[in-house]
Formats: sequence, C-alpha cells, structure tokens
Amino acid sequence: MDLSPQLTAKFEKLQTSYPVKRSALIPMLMYAQDEYGYVSDEMIAELGRRLDLNNVQIEETLAYYSMLHRKPMGKHHVQICTNVACMLKGGYDLLNRAKKRLEIGHKETTNDGVFSLEEVECIGACTGAPAMQVNYDFYEELTPVKFDRIIAELDAGRRPTPEAVISGALHERHPDETPLISRRWGMKDSHKIDVYLIQGGYQALEKALKEMTPEGVIEEVKKSNLRGRGGAGFPTGMKWSFVPKDSPKPKYVICNADESEPGTCKDRPLMEMDPHQLIEGMVIAGRAIHSHHGFIYIRGEYRYVLDIVDAALAEAYARGYLGKNILGSGFDFDLLAHTGAGAYECGEESALMESLEGKRGYPRIKPPFPAVVGLYGCPTIINNVETLSAVPSIIREGGDAYANRGTPKNGGTRMLCIAGHVNRPGIYEVPLGMNMKKFIYDVAGGIPGGKKLKAVIPGGSSCPLLAADEIDIPMDYDAVAKAGSMLGSGGMVIMDEDTCMVDMARRIMHFYAHESCGWCIPCREGTSWLRKTLERFHAGMGRPEDIEMIADLAKNMLGRTFCPLGDAAAMPTISIMKKWRGEFEEHLKGRCASKSAGLLVGAR
Amino acid sequence: MAEQKLIKLKINEREVQVPQGTLVIEATRRIGTEVPSFCYYPGLSLQAACRMCLVEVEKAPKLQTACTLVATEGMMIRTDTEQVRQARKYMLEFLLTNHPLDCPVCDKGGECELQDMVFRYGADSSRFVEEKIHRPEEKWSELVYYDAPRCILCFRCVRVCDEGMDVKALGVGMRGANSVIIPNRGDHLECEECGMCIDICPVGALTSGTYRYKTRPWEMSYVSTVCTHCSNGCKTTLSVRNHEILRSNNRDLSGINKDFLCVKGRFGFDFTKHPERIRQPMVRKGDKLYPVSWEEAAQAAATKLKAVYDASEKDSIGFIGSNRASNEENYLLQRMARATFETNNIDHHRTVDYTGLITALGERAGDSLLTMEQLYQSKAVLLVGNDPTNQNPLAGWQIRSGIRHHGTKLFIINANEIRLKRKATQFVKVTAGQEAAALRWLAHEEGQLSPAVVEQLVQLKAGLEAESDVAVVFGAEVSGAAIAPLVTFGSKLPGKTRYLALGDYANSRGAADMGVLPDRLPGYAYVGNPQAHEAFEKLWGCGAIPTKPGLTTPQMVKAAQAGKLKALYVVGANPLAHFGTLGYGRGQLELLIVHEMFLTETAKVADIVFPAASAYEKDGTVTNTSGEVQMLHKGAEVMGPRADFDLLRILSHQLEKLGRGKAFHYKTPAAVFEEIRTAVSGYNVRPAGLLTGGAEPTHVQSARNGHAPYDVPVGLIRSAKDTLFTSGTLGRFCTMLESLPEATTEP
Repeated sequence: MDLSPQLTAKFEKLQTSYPVKRSALIPMLMYAQDEYGYVSDEMIAELGRRLDLNNVQIEETLAYYSMLHRKPMGKHHVQICTNVACMLKGGYDLLNRAKKRLEIGHKETTNDGVFSLEEVECIGACTGAPAMQVNYDFYEELTPVKFDRIIAELDAGRRPTPEAVISGALHERHPDETPLISRRWGMKDSHKIDVYLIQGGYQALEKALKEMTPEGVIEEVKKSNLRGRGGAGFPTGMKWSFVPKDSPKPKYVICNADESEPGTCKDRPLMEMDPHQLIEGMVIAGRAIHSHHGFIYIRGEYRYVLDIVDAALAEAYARGYLGKNILGSGFDFDLLAHTGAGAYECGEESALMESLEGKRGYPRIKPPFPAVVGLYGCPTIINNVETLSAVPSIIREGGDAYANRGTPKNGGTRMLCIAGHVNRPGIYEVPLGMNMKKFIYDVAGGIPGGKKLKAVIPGGSSCPLLAADEIDIPMDYDAVAKAGSMLGSGGMVIMDEDTCMVDMARRIMHFYAHESCGWCIPCREGTSWLRKTLERFHAGMGRPEDIEMIADLAKNMLGRTFCPLGDAAAMPTISIMKKWRGEFEEHLKGRCASKSAGLLVGAR
Repeated sequence: MAEQKLIKLKINEREVQVPQGTLVIEATRRIGTEVPSFCYYPGLSLQAACRMCLVEVEKAPKLQTACTLVATEGMMIRTDTEQVRQARKYMLEFLLTNHPLDCPVCDKGGECELQDMVFRYGADSSRFVEEKIHRPEEKWSELVYYDAPRCILCFRCVRVCDEGMDVKALGVGMRGANSVIIPNRGDHLECEECGMCIDICPVGALTSGTYRYKTRPWEMSYVSTVCTHCSNGCKTTLSVRNHEILRSNNRDLSGINKDFLCVKGRFGFDFTKHPERIRQPMVRKGDKLYPVSWEEAAQAAATKLKAVYDASEKDSIGFIGSNRASNEENYLLQRMARATFETNNIDHHRTVDYTGLITALGERAGDSLLTMEQLYQSKAVLLVGNDPTNQNPLAGWQIRSGIRHHGTKLFIINANEIRLKRKATQFVKVTAGQEAAALRWLAHEEGQLSPAVVEQLVQLKAGLEAESDVAVVFGAEVSGAAIAPLVTFGSKLPGKTRYLALGDYANSRGAADMGVLPDRLPGYAYVGNPQAHEAFEKLWGCGAIPTKPGLTTPQMVKAAQAGKLKALYVVGANPLAHFGTLGYGRGQLELLIVHEMFLTETAKVADIVFPAASAYEKDGTVTNTSGEVQMLHKGAEVMGPRADFDLLRILSHQLEKLGRGKAFHYKTPAAVFEEIRTAVSGYNVRPAGLLTGGAEPTHVQSARNGHAPYDVPVGLIRSAKDTLFTSGTLGRFCTMLESLPEATTEP
C-alpha cells in the first residue's frame, strides 16, 4: 500500500532497530493507526510483508492491545478514566456528561466521525483526577463545564492546550519531603541535557565507567538497599547479580515504564521532567551486567512522554552518553524507547518481554527468571523507572548514603502518589519509612471537608485496603507488609467516610477483569465472574449468599493463577469483604454508605 | 549417548524413579496416578494455563503446576490432598461459568475431557448465576467449525497448528474472558485442513464438518486400521455405525503416528460410499459392460484366462498388482502369475525404487532400514528429493518433531523450495534431475555440477560428517544406479546410517516386498536364483517358475498395443491411465480383467470387472514405506464388493476345476500371512506385536541374490506426485477432499 513518506521512514527505522524484526510490530501498528485512525487489512498485509509475519500473527497481537483498533475511530478519540482515583473524583459523572454531550456510548463514534468515546482504565493521571485523554492529549482536574469547553474547542477545529505536566507533580515542597530523584522537577527545561549536565548529570555514569568495576557497581547498589519500585520490592542489587557473567548471549536492560497500576502516576513525571536521569541509570545498569542494549517500554497512553524520551535519547547519543565508546571508556550501549499499546498485563515483567518481542502480552513460565532467560531468551534485567532513576544518585553519593535516607533494608526515598479524597493530591518524594498517617494528614493535607477517613489503598489497587485504624504505620516495604498490605507501586488512593466500598470492590474488579490476559482459567474466569456478581450486587440485585461467595471465589483465585494479576484482583477484594462486610449487608437492605449507590442503575 | 541419570522422588508416599529432567506430571503418570490437565500435551510447549494439575510440593508455600515442575531428588509430591481437590473443584467451576453445558447436543458429549473431569473432580452444583458470554458458531471451512463458548482456551489447537504442523493458521483473538481462537483468513481457514486441531480439542469447541451432529460416540464401534492413502502407514481409528464409517481419527494416540493424521487420513474415507462405486461384477457384451452374477463372472474369468493360456505362446498373460491391496492379496496375485500361469509378467506401479535400495544395501539391508520412530529419533536427516510435507505427511511430521524436540539437523537436496526448507539446517537447491549427480559428487567428489552447488555440497558433506547415525531419506528422484552412490556416501558417515525410500500409496512397499515385480520373487529374491525358486515351487506345489524376468508394467502396456500380450489381469491399479496415454486403450488385448472400486480408465475398457473392497472393508496386512507391517481390520461393510483376497481365491478354485494350477486353500488372510512369515525374507515378525495393534519392522535381506542384475529404465519409477489433497485414482472419489478450496490452489 502507499504510505506517506513520514510513515515509510518511521517503518524503515523501526524495522531495523531491534535485534529481532517482529519487535517492531506493536510500534508500527501504533504509528500506522496514528496516521489512518485504525489498522486496515491492507496495513496488516503491508506489515506482514515488512516483518515476515503471517496475518494471524499480526491479528492476534493487535487484538490483545486495547489501544489498537480494526475499525475507524473518531478524529478525536475521547477516553475517560473511571478507575478508582477518577471515580472518587467524579469520573462517572464526567462519562455520563460525555455520553450526553456527544450523544454516543462507550466505544461508539459520532455519525460525522469527529468524536468517539471510550471508558478507559487508569491512564496514569490519578493526581489530576478526574482525567481524560483526547487521542494522546491529557486533560486533568476536569469538571463537566471544563469538559464541555474542551469539546467545544475541538468541535471548532482547535486543539485545547493539554496539561503541561501531570497535575500534582509541581507543588510547594512540604518540609518533610526529601527530593532526590525528583529534585529537578519544576526547573525550566529540566528534560534537556544541558540543564541535566549543569545539575550534575552524567557524573555518576562517568564514575561508574572510569572508576568502578561492573561488580563494584552492583556492590554499591546492593549496599544502597534499593528495592524495586514497581511493586514487588525485590532488592535491585541482588537482581542484577543473578545475571550469569559467563553467558555468551547478549544481555539486555529493560526499563519497565508500563506504569498502569491504578493510583500510580510517578513514572510519568520522572520521564517527562527528568528523562536523562533514567537514561543515565540505564547505562550504568548496562555497565553493571555487561549489557550493550537497553529498552524503555513506555505504556502506549504516554505518547508525549515517549516523544520527550526519544528527544532525550537523541541528545544523549549526540553528546556521547549513548552509543559506541561512551565517554572514551570503550563501553558501548544502545538504548531504544518502545511504545506499548494498552495492556496492564504488560507491566508484568515476562509479559512485557513477550510484548516487546511483538507478541500478545502473555506472561511466561517462571523459572527461568528473566535474569537468566529474558528478552529474546537472553539474560535480562528489568526494573521500574523509579528504580533506575535512583541509580545515578546511588553511584554519585554512595550506596550507604542512599540507604541512610530510608530505614534499614528499605534504602532511600520513595515517590508516592496520593489521590482520591485528599486536600493536596500529588506526587511526593519522601524517605522510606515515613508514617502513613502523617503523610496523609500532614503532607497531603488530610481529607477534604473535614470528613473522616474510611479506607486507604496503600500502593496501587492490587494491594489489600487498609482501614482508618490501620494507618499509623511506617511506610516501608516490611512495615506495610506486617500491616497486611503492600507498599506496592506507591499509588495511594484515599477514601472518605462517604465512599461505598461495594462500589469500590466492583470498580477494582472491573479493572482486573478488563485487564486479565485470558491465559489461565482462575484469573480469566474468576475476575469475569466476580465483576458480574459485584456489578449485580452493587446495582441492588444482590443475594445474601453472594457475600460469602465473593469472598470465597477471591480466596480460591489467590495463589493459584499463572501470574500475580490474579492475586492482584483477589487481594483487595478479600480485604474489602473482610473489613467492610457490613456495607454489603446494608446493600442487601437497600442502604448504601454513599450517595453513589444506585448511580449505576440505568446509568450503565 | 550419555546415560540418563535417574532420580528418586515420592508421589503420595510412593517412591518413583524417573530420569533427570522428567516433569512431575509425567512422573505421576508413570505410576498410574492421574493428575488432570487440559493444556498440558506431551510434545507441545508448556503452558501452565489451565491450572488443573496443581499439586502439593513439600516445603512450597503454594500449590505448584505439575506440568512445569521438574522432578528433583527427594521431592515429595501429594496429588490427592484436600487442598488439591479443592483447587481442582474451583478450576472446574470457573471453567464452567462460560461453558454452555450443551452436552446433550454437543458432538463431544461422551468423549469430552471436560465432562470427564467434572465427573471426577467437579462440584455437584454451580454457583454461577450471571449471564454467560455467548457468540455464534463459526464455520471456518468445510471441515472445521468453531464454537467459541465451548472453548476452554487450552491453546492446544494453536500449538499443534504452529509447533506441530508448522502451518500457523490459528491464533488467539481478544483478551481475558472474551478470548477466542481465530483462523488465519479473518472469518475462515486456509490451511492443510489436517484436522489436528479438531482431534486435539479436549471439548467440543472445534468440530468436524464430516462428523458433526451425525451420531453419539457410544452408538459407534471403533475399528483400528491403517490409512489407505499415502505410504506412511498411519494408524487410524474408524468410527463405524451400522457398517458405515462416520469418522476417522487417532484419538487413542496409538500406532507409529501417535496423534498425527493428515487430511486424507482423517477425512478421506467417503469414497467407500461414493455413488459411482461398482457394486456388481460386470462382463462386456459388445461395447458395453453388463452386470452379471458372481458365478457368471468368475466362471467367465477362469474360462477365458485358461483359453488364452492354452491358445497362446508362453508369457502371453500379464498381471498388474496393487499399491493399495494387502500383502496377502499381492502375494496371492504373484503366486497366480508365477505358479498358475508360469509367467514373471507381474509388476505394479512403482513409485520409488525399493528394489534398488535393497539391492544397493545388499547384506546390510536387513538392519539398515529406517522406521518412522527412528526417523523421529534421528539426530541428523539427509533428505534428497520428495516433498514430505505434501507427499509423505507423517515423515514430514516426524522430521519436524525431531527438530522441535531434540534439535535434529535437517539437510536437504531438492530441486524445489519445499516447505521443510524453513526448518532445514542446510538446503541445497539443484536443478530438477540433478539429484543423482549431487549424490555422485557426495560419494566420489566427481561429476559436472556448478561451482555454486559444489560449494554448498562441500558444506553439507562437512555438516553430515560431524553427525552420527544419520537418516537418509529419498524420493523417486533417486532410483536405479543413483542409489549406489547414496549408500556409498552413507556408509562413510560416522555411526549407523539408515535409509528410507519414500513411495506413494498405502502398500507400495508391500507390493514390492511380496514380489509383485517381474524380476524379483517375494523377499526380493532374483527370479534367476535357483534356491529361491525351489523354495517357492515346493511351497506352492507347482511346476518350474520361469527364470527369465518378465515384463514391467510399461512393457506390458506396450506389448498389449503390439499384440504380443494377449491377456492382462489388473488388481487395484489403473495402468492405462498411468502409463498408456489416455485413449490409447487396451490395445490388442484379447482379455482384460480388472478388480476395481470404480470404473477407472482401465476398468472401463475391461472385459470383466470385479467390484473390489477397499482397505477399510477388509482384513489383512500392509507394509508402509519404512517397511513396517501393520494389520488392516475390516471397518465398513459395503454391499456388493469383495476383497481381492476372496476374488483370487474363488478364481483359483475355478481354474483348478478347469485343470489350470492349484486352488488356494487359505481360509483367511491370516493364513496367507502365516505363509508370508515363513516364506518371505524379513517378514518373520512377532505376531503379538501385530495383534496388539503395533507396527512390526521387517528386515528384508537380499543377501542370497548374489550379483543379481538390476537395471531401472527411465520412467519406470514414477512418483504419483500426490498433494495433501490428492490420492491417485482413489482421491478422485474422495468427495470431501475434492471439494476443498485448498485442493485446487498451488501448495
């Protein structure tokens, strides 16, 4: 088929950018869709020719990703988030407003093809909730009025200015904050290499390359007690040391920037305001494990972030911080930013690798673990954006100094997003081990309207929820675990006393059912069953036996699914059923803790 | 090969010893403990998706999937604890939430793995009260239907199509609970139509166009026999109701083919009830064939044969045997030629040069032939000519499986870019007809080949020399004198080189083994060899068998044109279509007798036509192209036709009455096979192996031939060039195969 010169150039570059051609498939599908609005049969044939794939290989891959479409969408694809943080701030009101204003429903397109509407899962704008995306543009802190204004602008052929940076990232620093990896946020042009260099950028890389051995780098990271910031909290230095040194295969470094855990939006500002810090961290990681190739897998929704990272990569190449013989050390490292296409499951490390290989994002059987058999079957380390962004600081100030910023075994600072019912939703960098209650009330300003706190999601919606009387604890991995939950990805969502926990359980399960990859039975069928039951229950058609059944089903998913997504769906559900069982019983009697009960009847 | 280390583990307190690297699920099966699973399928990649095989492992905090867990020394496994039972129960309850429970009308009802599992491990009730996800059924091809709601997403079909068949026609669409299997052409399939996906499906999600909604599994009887199409000898199970074949598959995974069957083996059985099937004997009166009684036809045949014999010179009668008839039938036919009519004018359509291979191997023949299992086990394969994917599907499957399971190296010399090329370690392209030259080069480094080809052959030779126990596989492109250099080259390779000639049709190997050849007695003994003669003359109680080689099939057809051959007796062959150009006709034959299922070009011009039973309608044995004997079992019953065995027996009695030869006193094909076991070289196989449904390798020796002359004129060995969708004359009457769009597109 005839492609525009730009798309042809893009394709040709992508086709040759990866060690295995098929890896280019998802980015090529995304860029093709950007130009044509959808992926046509002809485009599939074209991509098949270019990548030596048959059409079923392409069809099955694209069918997996929720951002890829086989039918034309509207010129302005309006995507409204109703996930937990947005829901608490009126996401559903917004969705209803959109349906009325655009006169279309979920996944429908206006007759003139100008607008299409989709209710989407967490888009990583929790601290700016409620939020939406129009194509790739973020609009946050929306109200129905603001929404109407945006639509009117679009209708008039203008592009309303999207958010400059994510809402809630730039705020007056609280005295208890200890900005380390976020310290350049708010500086003018902080994403540019010149600013980064003035601020001491790439000095850690120079140190790692010229003064340290690869083993020394790993030792320093071990000393720092840095633990993975993606959710599981695995010690980073140890992970790096698992890479077999004598393997003749190439080794890879992957940055997991598929930030999709509901409530979490810290990687987005880390990349948009300080991409060079991440790049520097990745080159150091490459040096540590003798890798010469890295990838930054950025979720598809963060296209503008990808563009910023791409620009930063170009700068780093131009200045010799990437490519051949970096800083004259003889060390080579290539780094590529790669776009996802809408799939929460791809945040799971092995599913991400499958996706990066251009396939459906199914998780892989473990063991073997990625450090031994990862991307393209080669040893691979994969770390979260925040984890890798901390590496330059660790090398610069030393592992011990970094460790001392936190509590024992929980080194350093932590980026925390706090959203929902708080006065100052935002992204804060605090020492690991700060008291949770203090964080919610002092740093984030407490609950609006003087209302009482009901529940806290401590680190993304996969974590068991904590009740108001359980939050007087230090926020480090071990203490939160002791309290029966997890520090997770650092995405806190706060619920006030008027929140309906039945609705919360429903919305959480809705998300996991939507994102279940379908690989294993308990997750695929369990999340779908629980979603339907919770929807029915919340809509007022619950039966007394449902309460026991919901808890029972969740418990029987736990620990039996292929990957942690099943656990992620089960854990919050189990905690809600245990701690707020009373609300379910009240629902049976037609009473609800919040006014939101009944909202769903007729509205959805 | 290094000896495999054994380790000990305990399963339910019982000690089990298994080779290192064994999966726990296999270890449990070894002691007969069932650990249920849907997605685990031996030979395909691991999935751990269905979670049915969760077991307790001592010291592990969570249940583990037995299908991905490698057994280790001292491991303690429990497969029947409360926790395990509960996990299985929940998995099944989850599975049934979107499964339609339309078992009463589902084809799979009664033989469904999900049904069995729920029966054994499931709960007695379901708590699911929500709406099920529904989707309409889809017709993907004439043969494959997909019912998404029934699909439990075990992905066996996707894997067998990709990993097993290397076709990659199936994929997974959507995500989560909405996931479905998708075909490669949007709403339909374009593939080999092998139906592997249907048979491998544990539930009724993929059903067969030929079988669906026809019957219930318990209404049928099951007859295991050998596929009558290509020469690979796949075992197939005929599902028969009221003497009619309704289905053919290999769900018990037995036989040399285990779970493999191609489109012909699985769907090519409808010829049995084709409307054009001949149901009555026919005799020519003038220019027309008229149906007559069996008595009349048999008498006419005997009388006329005797008359020609008496009135003509020696060797005026010719016999053409069949590539599909059983060993017993071919054996009897050549006995009739040699003993009753004292002629060596007996041959068949030769599709590959078995005689040439046996002769070239000489004394090594007995232990140098390669079985299908050995082909799979081979560490390296040299393939010269042929296109196994299309012409010898099981051989192709065995090669692919070997590559997949233990990294078999495949070296190809071929004039065409055959499908196996993409699995090959090295592919050497030669021009058509140059295969022999390439082999001469490999053996003696001489001959005229382009420098480019020589360069590649140097590399191929080095590659093969680095391997041991190489399997040498070749097609009709290599025949006669070209086989000797192949054997010379093979014998120089390290280890034990084995050979496999790839012919066409179910019993082409058997026909050759049984001496349906003008220059070879049964077991490839040269007709000029006095000892061999004596043995058979004694056995059959007949006069001297002529020592001069008889006419080959093309020679017989030519002799008929010239009037030198007066009578031709054809069993299950169509020589006038294969060798004479169509319309060339019967020439000056005074008598043409044909055993046939259909009015073929040859049958149409015959004087007497006997309606013959197909392989699915009779008992006996056949020998596949790798020399493995298997038993045929009568599955279908078609009114009218009779097995060639019966026909030859009846004829022999009629002839004896007229004073020509001795009647055949064998009551059953088994009695003939008993004689074959003692009289034919290499056929002294274990009856127990055959009777229990196995394949027994033959070890044909031609040692006693000495230096028998062997020469193959150009054109004598001809591949049928069948595709996956054709099967010689028989294929023209397989309506289903003919109707497939893929049958008419170029492969």
